[in-house]
Amino acid sequence: MDSDFSLFERHVDALYRSALRLTRKPEDAEDLVQETYLRAYRYRNRFKPGTNEKAWLFTIMTNVFRNRLRQRPAPTEPLDQPGTDFSIYDQLRREGMPVHLMSPEEIIVERGFGDEVKHALEELPLPMRMVVVLVDVEDFSYKEVASILGIKIGTVMSRLHRGRQALQKKLWEYSGRPKARPVAVGAH
Amino acid sequence: MGDHCEQTMRKLSGYIDRELSDAEVRSVKAHLDDCPPCDKVFDFQAEMKRLVRRECCTDDAPARLRDWVRQLATEKAPARDQEA
Repeated sequence: MDSDFSLFERHVDALYRSALRLTRKPEDAEDLVQETYLRAYRYRNRFKPGTNEKAWLFTIMTNVFRNRLRQRPAPTEPLDQPGTDFSIYDQLRREGMPVHLMSPEEIIVERGFGDEVKHALEELPLPMRMVVVLVDVEDFSYKEVASILGIKIGTVMSRLHRGRQALQKKLWEYSGRPKARPVAVGAH
Repeated sequence: MGDHCEQTMRKLSGYIDRELSDAEVRSVKAHLDDCPPCDKVFDFQAEMKRLVRRECCTDDAPARLRDWVRQLATEKAPARDQEA
């Protein structure tokens, strides 16, 4: 039975990079992954062979993380926020950029939208951040994410939608204010 | 924006995330083939998803963590002090 544990070992990079997005600190991420594996090892007989071991590990990790957060709330955690209807593409089009003549890669490189993706992601409120990480980075299906987080599929979809828009808004803000709309002095 | 455009935009995330039924995929794809403006939006949103993945996949687990996990199964892993 123990030899089966190698099945779990191969997900250490995935768990670590997601832990890093959740905790935002390498030492906390490492600690979270260790505790995840300790539990996985302790409860390894509860894992049903043939089911998705990566989803199982992520379920453990998000539970451990949420319990920790409950015990020691992170003071800098951004609060959940309502959806902002935002898309970089629409914004650029409104500014008059010839987006229809450019490839997405050109648009992203030109305005430096790719430079601070991790930072932007880490600034999203946790409910949205978790869903974006699980879907976009770890490639879980909506159904798997619903099961990992114990939420409805509709909730996964709305958090994903809001999370992606909020992410684009952050990237837009980081990439410099649009020149067409001067920002008032003192505004942030 | 026509009805087809609106319907397609509503299904765009599901399309990009491969969450639609075969019939829905066909209808979205047919519209994108016919409608360059919607197709550009699709291209951009799909690239944003790839960008997030690409940027976040650069953090690999530290070697000591990887070793620790490997040793766990052989029961040689050092005990952690603050297990709770």
